[in-house]
Amino acid sequence: MAPLPPPSPPPIPPPVPVETHPNRAGGLKPPVQPRLLPDPTRLAPEDAYYAPSVPRTRPPPINYDGNVRPFSATRAAVAALRPPPAVPGAELSQKEARKHTRPSSRRRRKGAWKKLLWVKQSYPDNYTDTETFLDHLQRNPRVRPYDFWPLVADSTIIVQHVSSVAIFVCCFVGIVQERLSPVSVVGWGSVGTAMGWILWDSWVWKKEAEEASNTVQAQPVEGAFEGDDGSSSGSTTSSVNNQVNGEPRIISQKDSQKESRSQSQSRIHGLGLSISTNVSDPQFRRRSTGFSADSAIGGPDLASPWTATTPTANGALSPTGQFAFETTESQFLSSRNWQRLATVKSAFLIYFALLGLSPILKSLTKSTASDSIWALSCWLLIMNIFSFDYGSGEGAGATKFPASLSTNAAVMASTVLASRLPSTTHVFSLMLFSIEVFGLFPIFRRQLRHISWTGHMCLTLALVMTAGGAVGMTLRGGWAAAILGSFLGSLLTAFVMGGCSWWLISLQKYKNVVTGPWDPARPVLRRHWD
Amino acid sequence: MISDYFFPQPAGGVESHIYQLSTKLIDRGHKVIIITHQYEGRTGVRYLTNGLKVYHVPFFVIYRETTMPTVFSFFPIFRNIVIREQIQIVHGHASLSSFCIEGILHARTMGLRTVFTDHSLFGFADAASILTNKLLKFCLSDVDHVICVSHTCKENTVLRASLDPLMVSVIPNAVVAENFQPLSYTPHSNYRVPGVPPDRRAVPPQIGPDDTITIVVISRLFYNKGTDLLIAAIPRILASHRNVRFVIAGSGPKAIDLEQMLERNVLQDKVEMLGSVRHEEVRDVMVRGQIYLHPSLTEAFGTVIVEAASCGLYVVCTRVGGIPEVLPQHMTTFAKPEEDDIVIATGKAIAALRSNKVRTDRFHDQVKMMYSWTDVAERTERVYKGICGDISQEEFYGRYYGQAWKASEDRVRSFALIDRLKRYYGCGVWAGKLFCLCVVIDYLIYVVLEMWFPRAKIDIARSWPKKLHSSGDKRFSISSRGHDRQNSGSSHH
Repeated sequence: MAPLPPPSPPPIPPPVPVETHPNRAGGLKPPVQPRLLPDPTRLAPEDAYYAPSVPRTRPPPINYDGNVRPFSATRAAVAALRPPPAVPGAELSQKEARKHTRPSSRRRRKGAWKKLLWVKQSYPDNYTDTETFLDHLQRNPRVRPYDFWPLVADSTIIVQHVSSVAIFVCCFVGIVQERLSPVSVVGWGSVGTAMGWILWDSWVWKKEAEEASNTVQAQPVEGAFEGDDGSSSGSTTSSVNNQVNGEPRIISQKDSQKESRSQSQSRIHGLGLSISTNVSDPQFRRRSTGFSADSAIGGPDLASPWTATTPTANGALSPTGQFAFETTESQFLSSRNWQRLATVKSAFLIYFALLGLSPILKSLTKSTASDSIWALSCWLLIMNIFSFDYGSGEGAGATKFPASLSTNAAVMASTVLASRLPSTTHVFSLMLFSIEVFGLFPIFRRQLRHISWTGHMCLTLALVMTAGGAVGMTLRGGWAAAILGSFLGSLLTAFVMGGCSWWLISLQKYKNVVTGPWDPARPVLRRHWD
Repeated sequence: MISDYFFPQPAGGVESHIYQLSTKLIDRGHKVIIITHQYEGRTGVRYLTNGLKVYHVPFFVIYRETTMPTVFSFFPIFRNIVIREQIQIVHGHASLSSFCIEGILHARTMGLRTVFTDHSLFGFADAASILTNKLLKFCLSDVDHVICVSHTCKENTVLRASLDPLMVSVIPNAVVAENFQPLSYTPHSNYRVPGVPPDRRAVPPQIGPDDTITIVVISRLFYNKGTDLLIAAIPRILASHRNVRFVIAGSGPKAIDLEQMLERNVLQDKVEMLGSVRHEEVRDVMVRGQIYLHPSLTEAFGTVIVEAASCGLYVVCTRVGGIPEVLPQHMTTFAKPEEDDIVIATGKAIAALRSNKVRTDRFHDQVKMMYSWTDVAERTERVYKGICGDISQEEFYGRYYGQAWKASEDRVRSFALIDRLKRYYGCGVWAGKLFCLCVVIDYLIYVVLEMWFPRAKIDIARSWPKKLHSSGDKRFSISSRGHDRQNSGSSHH
């Protein structure tokens, strides 16, 4: 380290400070826009330097316009953030005070302050530049304000689920109190399920046919990928579901079959199927896992014919993926009917499995007090409501809780509830009903929402009124109570929906996300598939 | 100086900051001790160069060299050290260090002035940040002055802890320029004739269009250091530029990804991975290259880019955090934290170097003029003087907007318990009460300690004998004899 001889001029030309701050670019800059405080009770970056008072130490000046806030809520934070008064007296207005901070006036005094570290500046280290300080701060950059009616419309999904849970509970209470015959409950439920399935089936196949006709020219590679993916998951679906009781088979079997066939039989078909089942696909998988816990209770060795048959079907029907485009109409129809047949078959399988399980379930919790059962099932149903997948099913990975948690909770709740019932028929009915309500009904509701909005609203209304009526009947008994209950229930639901939506919207103003240059940047990467 | 982070831990920004600042403060005639927790095989008192005394206090380390936050258990030994060493100012470093935060709390209880240096940036969104920010607010609602390493850091700290911006000074980090010299560095005064610019063409080594350009990357391979960007950008840079090589030093969880990328693209002959290097070896790695690539996603200051520039490397870095403030534009090419932009910026930098437009040979001297620890120590000393009242309040805080203003009582933090409680109470609805409780308990512990272990019973440690620097060296010109300055601060009689 050789010391430089003092007389020699600096050997290096001193680096010229370059204006790097956007606010300081150019000598002439437009006058500072008076920034508006969106909400006077919240902290804004301007608070850090515009407000000319320190409320902690002195009363606010008389002319402190606009944003005088009470000392209470944000006092400490705001007070601590606030700099000392820009001017000693309180005579100057805020506007005049701001004028003093203009770069023009300061530049005359000494060089403008720069937000740079490598320049030796003539300002003290604790100098705070009023213009650039907290300049890059953004508040709520990505907030999307809610609108009232869309919010209310979306809340119908929750209302539907809560209503169906209420109906289930009321049915159970009716069965326990022997006001309702369990066979009639499950009979009506099954009729409804069958009708729902027929509807669902027709929608799905209509859509599929459309898709198939539309996307014949689609990229074959894509179709192959989708089919491949589907079949792998489909086989797990079928293997799980065949051990399970009752009707999920109707759909899950269908699903698995569809997928396996989509790979095996035709590529057109595969593409069409995978697109059309995009919505419900993840749900199927989740539903199937949802029942897997139950399969532990259930007969484990109702060995599925499908796990055995599917590979053979695969082998037989898919020599290559090439003949896909020559699919004929007859194949199309036959596969459809084949799937329906499989659905019915699996439904019967589950039906009988459940029938066989019912005696075991009946005495499952004999040694447990009823109080514990009520409490347990109550918690489980609450868990079901809170962890239910209310999403539209499009962002499948976006759900925080797996929907299997919700379904498992519901099935477990109905299992423990069913174990309080007196006879095997009762148990069987309730279990079947619970599978219909918690397993199949959500799928139908989701599909309905995609198909027709009017139908969705009608179903919501019907559910709410039924739930209200059922609650009324359970509490009081009699048809008058039911009508009163449904009326009151609808009214209350509408009120709560509106109120909650309004509340959420009004709470939005407290949202205060602060971002700035200190936040870690999100790297933008291209995806490489090599 | 008090912080969890100190040598022998592998040196990061905080450790070297503490060490260098302490050394320079000692040179300026102060007495400085460092309090940190114990390290593997290092407990007790150590003397470093120049009589810098380090207390390694035995404490339980929970995570990444941070001690367990026990709030009060540190107080007795802290009080003992403080009295023994006759300390007047406690200067804490790094906001994640519980040692630092507790030390500041206890120091205020004992009636000492406190300074806090923030070295890092924090967001506001996630739960960990919220907790840290609350803790920081607790610590800083009673601190006398805060030092931040960059203006962005200052903005962040002011927001996080709701501070008065005037109580926050910006004092950057620095580098020891002598340790980061370019490979072919000769002091300029040897061949420069005053006033006459010498033949500049002869000086810089010319880079021909076909010469190999080496790009150096030295960073821990973590997500927030932008290793993903690096992994994505390297193949594309190498594909579009012939005669480019990479040297990557550092280790971390992302090293595996990096190696996988190299294997997938068969780039082993063009990219050299060195693993982690010691801080002393950084210079030797740096001088192997011409460009330094720094793809970090967040950075309060970025000492390493200053070191790279000091080694005569052209710097390509992301425009995040405090980085844009650190180096002048002719030394850097900025990129957005996007893969495409980094590739483009690196391409620009390579083109600039190939066209020999960039005078990287001058970087070292320029950086030496910009950053030096002596300067940092001087500026820190001014802060110490300001909070001790050696500089008048008007001068220290004032001349805001070019006008004199009355020193507000608020800025001079009084030691009265009730005033402190008032300040803590404002921290939040629940947190305020909790903090007040902590402070009251701390005060009670202090009273008990004063009775139990009276001050008179504690020995006063003898200071390290100071040498008279009578040489003409400018850096050490401050005579330290006769000064009774203590600790990381000064007492003027």
